Amino acid sequence: MRRLLSVLVSLSLLFGTGLQPVRAALVSTEAALAGAPLPPRVAATLQRADVQARLQQLGVSPELARQRIARLSDAELARLDQRLDRLPAGAGVIEVVGLVFIVLIILELVGVTDVFTRI
Amino acid sequence: MRPALLLALLLAGCAGVPPAPRGPDVELAAVPFFPQQRYQCGPAALATVLRHAGRPVTPGALVSEVWLPGRRGSLQLELVAAVRSRGLVPYRPPPRLDALLAELRAGRPVLVLLNLGLRAAPVWHYAVVVGYRTDPPRLILRSGTTRRRAVPLRRFRRQWGLAGRWALVVLPPDRLPAGDDPAGYLRAVAGLEATGQGTAAARAYRSALRRWPDQPPAWLGLGNLAATAGRWTAAADHYRRALALRPGWPPAVNNLAEAEARLGRRGAALRLLDAALARPDLAPRWRTVLRRTRAEVADPVPP
Repeated sequence: MRRLLSVLVSLSLLFGTGLQPVRAALVSTEAALAGAPLPPRVAATLQRADVQARLQQLGVSPELARQRIARLSDAELARLDQRLDRLPAGAGVIEVVGLVFIVLIILELVGVTDVFTRI
Repeated sequence: MRPALLLALLLAGCAGVPPAPRGPDVELAAVPFFPQQRYQCGPAALATVLRHAGRPVTPGALVSEVWLPGRRGSLQLELVAAVRSRGLVPYRPPPRLDALLAELRAGRPVLVLLNLGLRAAPVWHYAVVVGYRTDPPRLILRSGTTRRRAVPLRRFRRQWGLAGRWALVVLPPDRLPAGDDPAGYLRAVAGLEATGQGTAAARAYRSALRRWPDQPPAWLGLGNLAATAGRWTAAADHYRRALALRPGWPPAVNNLAEAEARLGRRGAALRLLDAALARPDLAPRWRTVLRRTRAEVADPVPP
């Protein structure tokens, strides 16, 4: 039993490290092209946890949030971590309230905007 | 006086309007159409370009990958990630109309982000450009619930401009962009490398080198992929190719030194690092990286 456990642990360690796209000492091509080394791994791990928590706040299930985070690079996570609330989220159907709504209606009538046409 | 002043202002305004791009007209009529459900133009537009690239997806299946309920929309980054996760290159053309049209003429639909509202009150929307007509100038879009929407050029320019002229083209790893844009293409491929899509990334780097043989980042990328797979001899060869093209390039110096160390040649690794560190023009951020690697090579931690 103990041997089985140790085999499982070492296997998980093996695959765990194998999954990291680039080893710590190497400069990734992404970082090289950006002309800047990425923040240390520890910061990236914290960012991952942070962004995952915020995706969950925005209604994504924990399991899906984990999968979606895993598909982003460290550089992308850093951007999301700083700007998730300000990045555009394409949707196309409006939900604007009050004054903005009235202004948009007027602009729509004079042909400036394109919100209420059937997009 | 007043009408004359008004006329002058109007004329000045007209002078700023760029001319419409020339023909020939193009329309990719075979590009599929998925009408958008509720706010979900992201999944619909993404399914359109992925299906065109031969991937059997539906918007419904993409909702769990790119839809953010709390924002009632989809983020650009997640559309890019969804393309990558299928082993495809999410290429972002330069933010110019002619670059967009060049992709279209190469037979590829272009996913775009538009702002249908105002700068101060944005209404973000994803659509897919499938055609361009010159008389009168119009972009043809798969958009929302409309299969073929013809948008006047002026209006498209405004809406696309207010969204940062963001565009996305899906390329199989053996296909290259229409325009001469090695930096943009390699950025997209580096994203594949960084997210564990090694096979697709390697194919794409090799495609890039066939057309742009003098691109050091492509060799660096191939080296990183070999290193990740533990093939340090091959990795070192690739890093040397990068350095032959761009002598002293800090990322390639750093990674070649690491490869030499892994191959048991610590002396060679230290010589490389010391030569790079001796250069006065080495940027401080790279100096930090090279110093750290030097410390690891000089005094390796036992495994």
